[in-house]
Amino acid sequence: MAEEKKKGRNKIKDLAFRVVRASVKAILVYLLYFFIAPLLAPLLGLIPGFMETIEIFVTVYIVLMILSDLTAHTIFQYFFNSARALFVIAYLILQLGSGVISMDVENFSLTVNLTMFYTIAALLSLLGLAKSVLQAINFLNERAESGTHP
Amino acid sequence: MNVPIRMLGIATSIFWVILIAFIASAAYSLKDLSFGFGEPQFTAAPSHDLRFSLPIYIDNRGYYSLKSFNISTVFSDPEGSEISKASTFVAIIPQGQRATIFHNVTLSMDNLLEKGEQYLFNDTDLIVSVAAGVNFAELLPVQISMNTTYPWGAPFYNFTLGQPTYNRFNITHGRITVPSSFENHAAFDLVGDMRVELYDSADSLLGKSQTPLNVPQHSPYTGKLDFYVPLNSASLSAAQSGHFSVYFSTLFFEYGPVVIPYG
Repeated sequence: MAEEKKKGRNKIKDLAFRVVRASVKAILVYLLYFFIAPLLAPLLGLIPGFMETIEIFVTVYIVLMILSDLTAHTIFQYFFNSARALFVIAYLILQLGSGVISMDVENFSLTVNLTMFYTIAALLSLLGLAKSVLQAINFLNERAESGTHP
Repeated sequence: MNVPIRMLGIATSIFWVILIAFIASAAYSLKDLSFGFGEPQFTAAPSHDLRFSLPIYIDNRGYYSLKSFNISTVFSDPEGSEISKASTFVAIIPQGQRATIFHNVTLSMDNLLEKGEQYLFNDTDLIVSVAAGVNFAELLPVQISMNTTYPWGAPFYNFTLGQPTYNRFNITHGRITVPSSFENHAAFDLVGDMRVELYDSADSLLGKSQTPLNVPQHSPYTGKLDFYVPLNSASLSAAQSGHFSVYFSTLFFEYGPVVIPYG
């Protein structure tokens, strides 16, 4: 009975820790966005609607990160991590397309070639996806070795 | 397996931070870049060419160098036919430095006048296509292109030769005086001379006259041309109508004849 109570307390403690950790990480990411967005504004402000899509991107990214932290030590954590990496790749593909952005500003047209940035970001996202898959395999492996269910 | 995965995660995070910091600093340093254009200047180039020189001032106070700066311009007539094109390339504008670049476009007046003499006598708008590109911070090639018009001022705008007036010069010759006027709307001073031949209605040359020209840009010109013709009734009666053949010879071009009827 006392052990069950202790287990219950530990679970609550663990959940509270996860919530705090998820909140701190979310706040940190949001602060990063909060400080970087004004720096990017001179460039991104030229593209109509680009800042709005970045806001949506940051929101979805933070939600997936919170979900991943809340489901820590379960297989779902790795699903959410993979989903986050895939979301970054999908966003880059949908938003940047070929990596060349053209826009008409007043009476001139501006073309920015983001191919290099796009390639590096996509490769880093692929690394993130690979890491999540490896973590999932490792997690299942450890669970199988210890004889517990995922 | 935990250690390699953790290392992979750390490496990915570090690369993300570097990439985001680089993009943010590159975008932020855009605000410290300034471009300006000076007053375009026209100078005479060899072989009757007109050199249009546009000073471009670039102040790179950003965090990164600007590489492969290039600007190209194409001048076309209102029908879209190419008149002249030029490009200027600067390999590098280092960070924290100011650069003045002269973009030179050579307009061949002879080529321009082959397309039509209206460029001598009528103001028009030339179409200018400008494309400028720069490799910003090594990773971000940026290009700006625009179409604009350049107001072409005619050097002999509203060129007119008035009605000839006849006077007796001496016992053997009479003097025919023809008033001439025009406005130099061009962006350059007109230095040279104008030669006019006077023909009667039978296409016989009655006389020639030459006058020097030194008309500053955007200035009017009025003058008189004197022709000395033999004083006989046949030549005077024939000179009641006919045409002038006008030849222009300046630093930038030679053109003629422009045929103007009179009488």
